Amino acid sequence: MRNEIELESIIEDYLNGKLTPEERMAFEQLRSNDPIVDHKVVAHKVFLDSMKQYANILLLKEQMDAAHDQIDVAAISEKVKPHPSRVVRIWRNNRSAIAVAASFLILAAVTLLSYYAQREQQGNIKLLDRRIDRLDKSQGDIIRVITSDAKHTNRTPAKFGGTGFAVSSNGFILTNYHVIKGADSIYIQNNKGVSFKARKFYVDPINDIAVLKVNDNSFRNLGILPYSIKKSGTAIGEMVYTIGYPKDDIVLGNGYVSSKTGMNGDSLAYQVAISVNPGNSGGPLLDNKGNIVGVINGKEEKTENVAFAVKSKYIMEALNSIPQDSLSNRVAYGKRSTLQGLERNRQVTKVQDYVFMIKVY
Amino acid sequence: MSIKLSSSVPTDREVVLGILNNSEEALNKLYAGYFPMVLQFILNNNGDEDDAKDVYQEAIIVLYNKIKNGNFELSSKLKTYLYSVSRRIWLKKLTQQRKKTNNIADFEDVLAIDEDVEQHEQKDMQFDKMKVALESLGEPCKTIIQDFYIHNLSMQDICEKFGYTNTDNAKTQKYKCLQRLKKLFFQP
Repeated sequence: MRNEIELESIIEDYLNGKLTPEERMAFEQLRSNDPIVDHKVVAHKVFLDSMKQYANILLLKEQMDAAHDQIDVAAISEKVKPHPSRVVRIWRNNRSAIAVAASFLILAAVTLLSYYAQREQQGNIKLLDRRIDRLDKSQGDIIRVITSDAKHTNRTPAKFGGTGFAVSSNGFILTNYHVIKGADSIYIQNNKGVSFKARKFYVDPINDIAVLKVNDNSFRNLGILPYSIKKSGTAIGEMVYTIGYPKDDIVLGNGYVSSKTGMNGDSLAYQVAISVNPGNSGGPLLDNKGNIVGVINGKEEKTENVAFAVKSKYIMEALNSIPQDSLSNRVAYGKRSTLQGLERNRQVTKVQDYVFMIKVY
Repeated sequence: MSIKLSSSVPTDREVVLGILNNSEEALNKLYAGYFPMVLQFILNNNGDEDDAKDVYQEAIIVLYNKIKNGNFELSSKLKTYLYSVSRRIWLKKLTQQRKKTNNIADFEDVLAIDEDVEQHEQKDMQFDKMKVALESLGEPCKTIIQDFYIHNLSMQDICEKFGYTNTDNAKTQKYKCLQRLKKLFFQP
């Protein structure tokens, strides 16, 4: 017992560094020779460390309690407790977010202001540009008139072609305004080669849209249209296709929407990376689900595989300005197309009966 | 080493130096400086003033241990650190109490401090174990041990305080108490 107490106090002094160097040496000798002593040293060290930590935290807690008593907790909690008003609560919770949003708004306003200030000048330059364009165009027109005059002298009947598609089952056909502009007479021809006489019913030169009405007793009702017109905008990269009559037979063109704006940022049109030729004008642009997303109306002259299409929204605007009782089984808008889920070739087979060649004399 | 603190919220450097030098003044300033922040968080997330006190003190212990162990780097603001630790501790308590924890109302940025909080939980368990062991020791053992190990009294002082006839008797008593305490503390 005596020895045990002595050993314990030596271990404690050893761990606390209170032994003289000689005692220390002797004790370490003893420790390395006696595993039981060594174990006691280790255990006591763990215990002392825990005790020290306990003492420290206890002291810290006492100090913190003292500090806590100095604080007027009730007054602070009155200030920071959840406010009965939701608005104040949201303001408090999101103070920094609101600050960020506000500074962003201010920044945006300043940027916009300075942008408009700069733009005024650029706008002037653009106007000048456009004037030059117009000169170019009028020159181009003159040349064309001359050539067509030359053709007229040859007495070969001037014949223009384009594409159109049915927007109702009773013979309303939608195409581009520029296809039928200045036409004397208009015929539509289906994929079996049968022609029907048609007349202009509605034109919208700004959006380059025209609606024709088939005026022929031999025309049969088309039945319910397989496609529908897409209500929402189309995303860049969306795969699209068009079918049309760049030649006497129907031709499929494949591509994707490459920009949400047309030529020179024209917001009425999409830019489509698709191969089209003269004659494709007025053809429907369909997505993979069989929705019409636009009408092909032109192509970039200098670049291959860049075409433009009037957005589907303007098709609907055109259709809505036609007396509704004259359209029977009109094309569905924003509904699920019956083509959805079909393979591309099956879709084309179904759609081609509703796509017509427009012949203008 | 006493630094005169002018503002109510001490700078982070002052706090770290103060804790390293056991300055009670620095601790008081730290405590008063960030308590409102934690109180606001707890009150807005299903807690009351007492919860705030407990959570805040635990968070300060985490910070204190981290600084004392020398592995506290001033990479973040003390304020953000204390807020994040308090937040973590309170959310754990809420889950334990099965109170709902969705829609946490936050007032500050939050750091990832999971490791620190887990380490703290280990230490906290040790603290509780020691506390329980001391409580179950009974008198006079509890006071002798506390006087010797916590209040740093010498065996001579203890001998006089408890009226032992000589220090050897006191030493024997302390030895017996210590053996019992160790047994209690080390038992699984």
